[in-house]
Amino acid sequence: MNFSRIFHNINYLVSVLLFLVGLYAVTVKPNLIKKLIGLNIMETSVFLLIVSIGMVEGGQAPIVAEGVKASRMVNPIPQALILTGIVVAVSTTAVALSLCIKLYEGYGSLNADEILGAWSPLGSSGGAGPMRLDGPGPDEHRDVP
Amino acid sequence: MKRLLVLAALSVVGVVLLYGIGKMPPMNSRDTPDKTHVVPRYLEKGVEEAGAGNIITGVILNYRGYDTMGEVSVIFAALCAVIAILDREKKGRSRSGVDASGVEASVIVRTVVRFSLPVVLLFAVYTILHGESSPGGGFQGGAVIGASIILFTLVFGLPVSTARMPLRARIPMESVNMLGFLSMGFIGLAVGVKFLTYILPGLHGTAAETVRMIMLNVIETGIGVGGGVIFISIVFSMIREDQYELQQDIPQH
Repeated sequence: MNFSRIFHNINYLVSVLLFLVGLYAVTVKPNLIKKLIGLNIMETSVFLLIVSIGMVEGGQAPIVAEGVKASRMVNPIPQALILTGIVVAVSTTAVALSLCIKLYEGYGSLNADEILGAWSPLGSSGGAGPMRLDGPGPDEHRDVP
Repeated sequence: MKRLLVLAALSVVGVVLLYGIGKMPPMNSRDTPDKTHVVPRYLEKGVEEAGAGNIITGVILNYRGYDTMGEVSVIFAALCAVIAILDREKKGRSRSGVDASGVEASVIVRTVVRFSLPVVLLFAVYTILHGESSPGGGFQGGAVIGASIILFTLVFGLPVSTARMPLRARIPMESVNMLGFLSMGFIGLAVGVKFLTYILPGLHGTAAETVRMIMLNVIETGIGVGGGVIFISIVFSMIREDQYELQQDIPQH
């Protein structure tokens, strides 16, 4: 492994660190919102990596104007790709957050371990069951004898 | 114990990723593979081929137009999914355990938001309309529109905000981003050129460039307005307010 090259590419190094921070949050934190935040941190690390690939030394924004030479512009393709990526990340986050709202309405908790504990595939939990605030809970769908 | 296992797994992933970036070409150089293939052509001929001084706008609307159309449909699909899961905002919805304290925002916050909102929206319009010749574009302007209205909603509450932006006004606006893209694409098909080609046959010189500029601006405006309104609708669907019926007074100004 070439360490001097890793430290020369400092953006790539920071991107790897951000990816690990996000992966840690997704795997360790039980709170679903914190998992989503970790997922967004991982997405940000990928955006940073790809935009950094397009950098050039002394580069200028790829916008044609007075005194801007095409040979000095940075690579526009990673930026266009990341624009797409950001929008898709926002869309997936919106859907995931609405699923979190539904889970909270059904179970009264955002803790993944508690939700898994309250959920049973046959709906035959003898305990108190999930807290219900609206609509039929998982216990109502009991078609299996 | 579980935490130790996760840390061990993370360090394995980290070593693999560090090995990967150690093999990557150095940053900031001009002769890496990503900058030698199509990029010189985009930078040299992008303005005359794609019709936008901002090369990124040219790339997303012209060279990679299909990609952007798919992206726009992803936003629309996200709205559909959120509505399918949560339903639209309704009067008297107080069925969640989410704490909605009835505390009103302070007068400073309300005044600042009230005076800054028109300026922020003006900036959004500027960002959308100048997207082809300066930093900006439809998605960025749409994000500004959405963020400003969401800020207004957080400060003044959902009833005031939905009174200003009722559902019957938002439903047609939510679809203008897909409609703008598809209509401009099908105009090309109708006159006998490829889908999402902005050069119409029979036009040359300045007339062709003007028509292309108008078509690009229609798409940008559609992306901006549609994207902004879609995110406003998503946030409206997510908000749970227990005091929905109580706060019916709309501030006059």
